[in-house]
Amino acid sequence: MDRSEGIKLVLSRITNDLIVANLGPTTFDLHFLGDRPENLYSWGGMGLVSSIALGIAVTVPSRRVIALDGDGSLLMNLGSLATIARQSPSNLIHIVWDNQQWGETGGQPTHTAFNTDLSKIAEGAGIPNVSRTSTIEEFSTALDLALSSEGPSCIVARIVEAGKADRPKEVEPNANLIRFRNSLD
Amino acid sequence: MSWIDNIIAGLKSKNINVISYVPDVVTWKVLKELEADPFFTVIPVAREEESLGVAFGVYAAKGKAAVFMQSSGLGNSINALTTLAIPYSAPFLMFISLRGDLGEFNPGQVAGGKAVRPILDALGIQHYTLDREEKVEEIIKGASELCFNGKEPLALLIPTILTGGKRGSF
Repeated sequence: MDRSEGIKLVLSRITNDLIVANLGPTTFDLHFLGDRPENLYSWGGMGLVSSIALGIAVTVPSRRVIALDGDGSLLMNLGSLATIARQSPSNLIHIVWDNQQWGETGGQPTHTAFNTDLSKIAEGAGIPNVSRTSTIEEFSTALDLALSSEGPSCIVARIVEAGKADRPKEVEPNANLIRFRNSLD
Repeated sequence: MSWIDNIIAGLKSKNINVISYVPDVVTWKVLKELEADPFFTVIPVAREEESLGVAFGVYAAKGKAAVFMQSSGLGNSINALTTLAIPYSAPFLMFISLRGDLGEFNPGQVAGGKAVRPILDALGIQHYTLDREEKVEEIIKGASELCFNGKEPLALLIPTILTGGKRGSF
């Protein structure tokens, strides 16, 4: 599977869930495949999408929050897995698109291309529901489980890097944040 | 009231109820009270930059957050300020307990402590120093208005002259 297949599947299974998208390809793809007010795109803060999602999750516990992360970004902020496990918000799903590379900087292999397994790190951090997937069928099953379980959940989805959508024509972080906030009304 | 009670009263009066932190000896005097108070949702993190991500998320969800850190943690937080909080205009209060301040014993804390205000100035982040116990609550109230109306992060520095530092006195 690739990232766009994964994002399409996520979008097909949710209604008004809040999504926080990692910077670069995940933001570009989510914007291209399904721009909606409940999407918060990242133009900075590399590594922090799961922390941002945690802040949202504790503030609006009645809403489900989905963080779309990447392997290179999560490797920058591994402590967040332990923080999420300690806080244990039941409405948080953390999905990691693991393409085993820093895609935005030339495709250099990340640590997950070698011996590192982010799903084991998530398990070791104490996240209650952790899945590791490598096909769209496995991802679909894991997503259904996460959507029907008390969270927090973490899905580490191995993907093939198949390119990304063009970035949005206008890069407007503040306008995006305002729209996201207004979507909560 | 003590500076500890004054900080808590200031936060409560402005409904700042999500607190994310990496502890130090000084701020723990406040944080342990916050943890015991059901008004607050308190989120300890592993590294300071995370707490800014959490505070950003709280604002995205229409809440109000404050972070607590030691001055050494400001260096760990700069990317979240420059690439997230500032370009998105996302406000939150940052309580920074100063090391490298009066009474410091550790050379390893001096360079970072001295640099706190120049770093904040370079980033254009307004900062106020809580150096008089009787003014602490008032400054927090005013800072909260400024921060959340101005839609910028704002720093409140906790100097050792207020708290006595790590040992409580010099």
